Amino acid sequence: MLMRVLDRLEEIIITVLIGVATVVIFVAVVQRYGLSNSGQLMGWAKSQGMDWLFNAAKSVFVFLNSFNMTWAQELCIYLFVWMAKFGAAYGVRTGIHVGVDILLNSLPDRSRYFMVLFGLLAGALFTAIVGSLGAEFVWHMAQTDQTSPDLEWPMWIIYLAVPLGSYLMCFRFLQVAWTFARTGELPQHDHGHVEGIGEADEPLLTEPHLHPREIKHGEGDKP
Amino acid sequence: MSALIIFGLLGALMLSGMPVSIALGLTVLTFLFTMTQVPVESVALKLFTGIEKFEIMAIPFFILAGNFLTHGGVARRMIRFATSMVGHWHGGLGLAAVFACALFAAVSGSSPATVVAIGSILLPAMVKQGFPKRFGAGVVASSGALGILIPPSIVMVMYCVATSGMLVEGPNGEKVTAASVGQMFIAGVVPGALLGLTLGLVTWYRAWHGDFPCLERATWSQRFKAFLDSFWGLALILIVMGGIYAGIFTPTEAAAMSAVYAFVISVFVYKDMGLRDVPKVLLASANMSAMLLYIITNAVLFSFLMTHENIPQAIANWIVGQGLGWIGFLLIVNILLLMAGTVMEPSSITLIMAPILFPVAVKLGIDPVHFGILIIVNMEIGMITPPVGLNLYVASGISKLGLTEMSISVLPWLIAMLSFLMLITYVPEITLWFPRMLGVL
Repeated sequence: MLMRVLDRLEEIIITVLIGVATVVIFVAVVQRYGLSNSGQLMGWAKSQGMDWLFNAAKSVFVFLNSFNMTWAQELCIYLFVWMAKFGAAYGVRTGIHVGVDILLNSLPDRSRYFMVLFGLLAGALFTAIVGSLGAEFVWHMAQTDQTSPDLEWPMWIIYLAVPLGSYLMCFRFLQVAWTFARTGELPQHDHGHVEGIGEADEPLLTEPHLHPREIKHGEGDKP
Repeated sequence: MSALIIFGLLGALMLSGMPVSIALGLTVLTFLFTMTQVPVESVALKLFTGIEKFEIMAIPFFILAGNFLTHGGVARRMIRFATSMVGHWHGGLGLAAVFACALFAAVSGSSPATVVAIGSILLPAMVKQGFPKRFGAGVVASSGALGILIPPSIVMVMYCVATSGMLVEGPNGEKVTAASVGQMFIAGVVPGALLGLTLGLVTWYRAWHGDFPCLERATWSQRFKAFLDSFWGLALILIVMGGIYAGIFTPTEAAAMSAVYAFVISVFVYKDMGLRDVPKVLLASANMSAMLLYIITNAVLFSFLMTHENIPQAIANWIVGQGLGWIGFLLIVNILLLMAGTVMEPSSITLIMAPILFPVAVKLGIDPVHFGILIIVNMEIGMITPPVGLNLYVASGISKLGLTEMSISVLPWLIAMLSFLMLITYVPEITLWFPRMLGVL
């Protein structure tokens, strides 16, 4: 039950982050472009003596000018960094992180089993180290009062993405390793999968061989 | 010495089958812990600042836009337009596949996405029309590679990210700045069109030779109707390239605009997609982008280690000291990249190799933009060479052909692409002429 909540939460977080980042940049571009255009229109309308147009352009200009969007880029970057850290953890669960697996797939089943486990545990080790380094870093940063340049948010909260995301990723690696150790199943990401394309709803695609073959063929961990 | 240890470790870790990003990160950590006095805190900082650049954010936006276009019926309409234009020539649908891939490549930044978008619709249709399955799968897999050469292109962004901010010197010691995303995009136009033409010619020749079916010639009114129908998708080409060229947007902003635009036309204009499908598309895009951003983070860490150990400079000096001219150097680069392309995917190769090779190239007087396009063409070929070629996997998934058969089926186009690579490598003017004419270089 708790796992379900965590899974859903992870998905919701990254979905919202990418969506919000897109909207933020879109609004910022529209605002900037609208501002310069309404400014030009004001000048033109004045020279033509068209008062109504001048007033309309002026009200648009004043309206747009009342927002300050200079922080948009910064916010977008932070949103994407958070998305990248949590999305990387989600990616472990969906099996999207690819490696070089020719050697692996030519090994006999038993050695492959250990190699795959080794790879997954190495992932867990790396993310655990990075998470701890990040945690220490954030801890030191929290003692200072550094803030981000435009938004003026405390930097340690922003950097919190590194330890949180890495520990979550570590947990996901362990989870996948545990499942693999017991059942021999690996999550697989299907690069060719598109929903709703093609004439009928028949499955268009088979599994691509991007990942280590499974020991026993199963359905894989469908997210 | 340290170079040998680093590359040996990286190679061993990668061969064990772990994700490339993890292998890169572990190599750096191991080396830093055991061999140097670099404070470990700087690693933690790099993990965050590595992707703290606005240019990098073009990648998630382009992926999002591409997913909306694939799901939202833009690909389908582009195929109809392409078919109405070239379907009556020899090769019919095959030729249409090349054309449609080129059109879709001009709105999408990824090759496998192009194969999926075009192939999953056209391939079944081709088989139904009596084309040999091999031929169809070969056309789609190889034309899909256009996705990363015709702008926008995610791999081009990767190249710029990997080389930006490097202090490099030209042959006479003058400072050379790395290529910008805008320059790369504009430079990709002519080689992209040329490669599309080459692939089309091969397709036409094979179809003419094998006497494959053609379609009836579409009337001009049908063509016009198909054009109008796909107009909203085609307009995106103008928005992205026009916007960047005219200086209205930065490439990242153009990517964000095209994501929003693609969302609007998919959901509100073409209505091939409902609002409730949007979260699914967002999640899939976030998943893919996070994976790429994670590789970038670790590759930045890796190139920090490389720079710290002065490896690119050492390699540059060594190669220059060998008296190898740019002709010999580029030949070696091509072989190296083609070999890497057979076992790794493009983003990782670009991120790992570009920072190492770039200083050498500049030192030998090769233009950063030309060098970038050369890397991209190599990556395209890497996508259709076994054992690891994303396009082959995707096309084999659609066509249900085995990987071996897929690899044989792309051979004619592969040979054409290799000759094209030679042309791009040794005639820099093909790449540089267009951006120079527009005055962006």
